[in-house]
Amino acid sequence: MTTHETIRQLLALSAAGLLDAADERRVRQHVHECSECATALDELAALSADLCRLPAPSAPPDLLARTEARVAADLAAQAGLRHSALLAVAAGLFAWMAALTTWGLYRFLTGGAGWLAWLVLTTVPAYMAAGAVAVMFASRRRLERSVL
Amino acid sequence: MIDQAAHFEDVPVAEPDEIARLRRRDSAALASVVARYQHRLYRYLRRLVREPAAADDLFQQTWLNVARQIGRYDSRRGFDTWLFAIAHNAAMDLLRRKTGESLEESGRALAAAEPDALSAAMASERTAILASEMAGLSAPYREVLTLRFEEGMKLEEIAEVTRAPLSTVKSRVGRALETLREQMTARYRKEDLL
Repeated sequence: MTTHETIRQLLALSAAGLLDAADERRVRQHVHECSECATALDELAALSADLCRLPAPSAPPDLLARTEARVAADLAAQAGLRHSALLAVAAGLFAWMAALTTWGLYRFLTGGAGWLAWLVLTTVPAYMAAGAVAVMFASRRRLERSVL
Repeated sequence: MIDQAAHFEDVPVAEPDEIARLRRRDSAALASVVARYQHRLYRYLRRLVREPAAADDLFQQTWLNVARQIGRYDSRRGFDTWLFAIAHNAAMDLLRRKTGESLEESGRALAAAEPDALSAAMASERTAILASEMAGLSAPYREVLTLRFEEGMKLEEIAEVTRAPLSTVKSRVGRALETLREQMTARYRKEDLL
């Protein structure tokens, strides 16, 4: 590839201000001697300047408000999900503690026999109730938000 | 060669304090940052997807993603490039789904004096032709041109936004400008503006 062809490929990047100092010097030296490349560089530079000055399309006047409202709704939904998850964990822990407190009474009455049945009969319904409570709270919060 | 300092020194950018407040999900900070970037981001999206309705939706989607992912933002990186990278990803997803939009690469005039009415009209027409020819370029070319000339981003920043190697970005900018020059020359000759 000749110097002319090599430099020719660098003209657009020179016009865009994207060449390093060494390549920029090579381009400048070449266009000083080559009228064809000098013309091309002038045209590309004019085009680059015009691109910088292109009128910007105007955003719809309500875009900002709609964006803020959509982001706020999304953040509130995410906060609601986090809140529901925390609530479910707290309700589960409470149910577990409540189930444990019945163990003493059960042991006193039965002598501890059939502990597996006690575990199933107390823990599973307690956890189901805790889950239901969490779902109910989450639904209520959603309803409150939609009303507000 | 474009005078970068002269063109881009007044580009609004987010303050570190705003970003910190954004991380704490401060709605006032979000409103401030969205307003600050409104025109730049909307312009980028319009250049990329061309349709106002699509740009509108992508603008909102971009800020939703910013609000969701702000915890992952590394403050050592520029907020601008992070924001535009999120917008780029959303736009690319949309363009991939759209039929008829190719993601393949294809194809300062200083006035010494006040322009007269005819020159002003011609300049205005040239701008309209340039905008129209730019819109006709493929998406990767439109994108690098707007990021370089309207956003004033450096090669490295454009590469970060588009997730493309530096050599690819260089080649895209060069080819996009050359293609635009050829098309503009042909149009000027046709419209007798030269």
